[in-house]
Amino acid sequence: MPKKYHISPKATPLDLDFVYKFKIVRGENCINCGKCTKVCIYEAHKRRKDDPRKMADPNTVACRNCFRCIQECPQGALEKSLEKDYLNIGGAYWKPDMLISLWKQAEDGQVPVSGAGYRGTFTGTGFDSMWTDMSEIVRPTRDGIHGREYINTAVDLGRKLNHLVFDADGQLVSEVPDTASLPIPILFDIPAPNLSSNVKEALVQAATEINTCIIMPAAEITPEFEKYSHNIIPCLMPAEIDTHETVLKKARFVSIEYSDAVPNALPDLKEKIKKFNHALTIIRVPAGKDVESIVAKLVHSGAEIIHIVADYRGWELNSSAGRDGRLLKDIIRAVHLRLVEDRIRDEVTLIASGGIAMAEHVPKAMLCGADLTAIDIPLMVALGARVYEDPVKLMIFPEGLDKIPLSIVTQRMVNLIGAWHSQILEMMGAMGIREARRLRGESGRAIFFEEIDRDTFGNLFRTKKRKAANL
Amino acid sequence: MKPSTVQIKIMPSRFKHQVPKYKVTRSDACINCGTCAKTCPYGVHERVEGHNKIRPPIDYKCIGFECQDKDFCCIAKCPRKALSLSLNPMYETLGDYRWTADMITGTWIMAETGYPPERTDIEYNVGNSGGGFDKLRFKFPAHPPRMDKSEISTEIPLNRRNDGRANIVISTPVYGGGMSFGSVSLPTMISKARNATIWNTFTSTGEGGYPEMLKPYDEHVITQIATGLFGVREETIQRVRIIEFKYAQGAKPGLGGHLLGEKNTESVAKMREAVKGASLFSPFPFHSVYSIEDHKKHIDWVKEINPNALVSVKVSTPNDVDMVAVGSYYAGAHIIHIDGGYGGTGAAPDIAKKNIAMPIEYAITKVHNFLKDEGARDAMTLIASGGIRTAHDLAKAICLGADGAVIGTAELIALECVRCGNCESGRGCSRGIATTDSDLADLFGEDWATQRLTNMYHAWNVQLVDILQRFGMRSVRELVGRTDLLEHIDYSHETE
Repeated sequence: MPKKYHISPKATPLDLDFVYKFKIVRGENCINCGKCTKVCIYEAHKRRKDDPRKMADPNTVACRNCFRCIQECPQGALEKSLEKDYLNIGGAYWKPDMLISLWKQAEDGQVPVSGAGYRGTFTGTGFDSMWTDMSEIVRPTRDGIHGREYINTAVDLGRKLNHLVFDADGQLVSEVPDTASLPIPILFDIPAPNLSSNVKEALVQAATEINTCIIMPAAEITPEFEKYSHNIIPCLMPAEIDTHETVLKKARFVSIEYSDAVPNALPDLKEKIKKFNHALTIIRVPAGKDVESIVAKLVHSGAEIIHIVADYRGWELNSSAGRDGRLLKDIIRAVHLRLVEDRIRDEVTLIASGGIAMAEHVPKAMLCGADLTAIDIPLMVALGARVYEDPVKLMIFPEGLDKIPLSIVTQRMVNLIGAWHSQILEMMGAMGIREARRLRGESGRAIFFEEIDRDTFGNLFRTKKRKAANL
Repeated sequence: MKPSTVQIKIMPSRFKHQVPKYKVTRSDACINCGTCAKTCPYGVHERVEGHNKIRPPIDYKCIGFECQDKDFCCIAKCPRKALSLSLNPMYETLGDYRWTADMITGTWIMAETGYPPERTDIEYNVGNSGGGFDKLRFKFPAHPPRMDKSEISTEIPLNRRNDGRANIVISTPVYGGGMSFGSVSLPTMISKARNATIWNTFTSTGEGGYPEMLKPYDEHVITQIATGLFGVREETIQRVRIIEFKYAQGAKPGLGGHLLGEKNTESVAKMREAVKGASLFSPFPFHSVYSIEDHKKHIDWVKEINPNALVSVKVSTPNDVDMVAVGSYYAGAHIIHIDGGYGGTGAAPDIAKKNIAMPIEYAITKVHNFLKDEGARDAMTLIASGGIRTAHDLAKAICLGADGAVIGTAELIALECVRCGNCESGRGCSRGIATTDSDLADLFGEDWATQRLTNMYHAWNVQLVDILQRFGMRSVRELVGRTDLLEHIDYSHETE
């Protein structure tokens, strides 16, 4: 059995403002009777410290929306509404509730648990249009995080042979390519340029602590990061390889930006990179319209790891405002199926990124065909960054973040990934899958909205129409 | 038992105010003349004897924009034009896509009055989730056969196996879902059981053991055997007429029950034979069941202990739920209870609520058809739950192929749950429903709660009978599987 992989969460509050959902206003007709103080079990209502005869302004951060103060105020003096910030933040993809959940996960590192059933829409776009399967009675299942059985989230990166060749004496003839494994199917991707130095270092430190890697522009890997080089993946243009020799000498993986010249140059590029430190080469491919043929071509040219990058909301790149484009879920499925068709799927490792926003997106992306994922924005939301989509992508960091001690910034990112890891275990346990490697392309363990809706409601309610039309 | 014999009694909210849909604003132009207080029949405006100033408007009593057509409307009557009406921003903080503010308000009115709301400004039958039940509509015939409401039966039998065990018939095709002692308060449990007795139907103990105070209602209690086996004893199994194996729950399919430490109070711990304050996570699955043969062994076991009881199997809704249903038939179960992915819970990981297993709408169709193909449909009772919010959802579930439904959240809404979702932590529910905290659990009495539930069941029954009448049906059993009576707002108008 592999050594148990564990991420240690630690409650790490961050003394910076973040968005909250509700706002309560005390009207002028309040008679300071204190009823609200008695009925609120969350201590949102208190008397003023300087003048206990009067009620203080409601502490809306503490409000949990139970309505008791509203309903029991003898004067009807309290008014509640949705907070303006809450209504403005995020967008169609990065919903305000997601941001609040990520912030909370970064604080305690726990699986978010709540009462009452699901509140959202029946289905949505992209990953929201699929459910993962589970088993009971007729298939083996696993306890998730509360069980004693070990669920392994490790994944391999690198090229694998379709088959091995042995000679007449039973000696292995095939040259087995190098692979490396990571204990969790999540890489860090550099989230934004010009991060404050404590945030940048914390990203690297957090990646190191959870034993994954962070993809960084090679030019930003300054000497103080040397001690982390095991966990840093330099990212560069093919032409820059010689400029960054020092960095490449320490790297386990190197990420190369895709261009039209890359497929032909690939064998030489790989050799060149291998000479420094036997590093594996990742080709970073923007998820455009023809991404599946580019990926297929790269694999035929010997690519070992390919990183498909969609936009920050998971949309195909260069699609007009996302309207005619595909979402990451469908991009991965298309690429995966293309490689399966070409019988080369096992030869390459696929990393998917862009719009991986919540823990469930990781196993869902894998069920669609990715080997692992890379994330960026959630790590920043963990630090209180506010994401906006309209009119353009905008990430605003809280004031004072650059003065927060490194250990706190790091721990919040570790917490977030700890919470995600636990959530991935819960989903895998429900699916009865004990090895994250087995999630890849396992679409039989997913339920896709379009398919099931067509198969049930489509069949029930459309066929009759068709028959009627035939009459 | 005839539903018409159930006693309805107005049972108002236990709170001074309700959540207002509208906002009545009085501007500075007001001269405190008191015209509004005189004209409004709903009591929005109040002028206390001897006070110079009129009191602020009581928004929740206002019936909204439809009042503007009435000649007593305060806005038109105000001599200074000082009054205006708008939607109240507070209303947006109530409810969500599945349970809209209108749906919650409608359920509150049902629990208060025993009838569906008369107000026409709230859509309480359909939610805003954009899928499943919310996209299905009834196709009522223009001229149904005439049917007197008193001739219409809503009862369903639960034992269709003809195996010599109890022939249980319930008077309305709904019963109460499993909520354990620990997840909800004792008054909540007892009121549910009292209501089940009044309605000649059932309630379930959930997995937290069988409180002695439920004993008077044994005939109408289902005891649950779940993976945690809390408080399961031969004696409790022998007490009841239906035993339910809970394999999984819709809100957290593939995960065991969750009771977080703070809610595991002394009395809860005693009942569960556990240590006070420890979080109790039930295992998943039953580690003694990995095949239908194991499952049969389970069912044989309880059948041996209680020779007259029916066995219900509660499962959630994975891809192979149809196989599980057929397997349960062969294993000897009477009821297959499928709990869809959007079901309620006292505590579940958010990730599980949203993402694991399919919504109930698909599963009903799948299981109904599979049982039919297997020739087993007539021997099984198919009960659906997990997202049955209203009487319309219930009727739609039956049209899709269920015999009846189990409801949970709707019952709690009747007790004035606002779905704030804080049932899991700390002292639990601040409204006294999902809590075992000694102070909070005393917030309402059993008489109040029982009547609220009875009223809501009555309102649902009224609506169900109305639907059956409009289809010209004599019994709810005729409605089972009648998908031809439904239309889908997307597909039904698609011409391929």
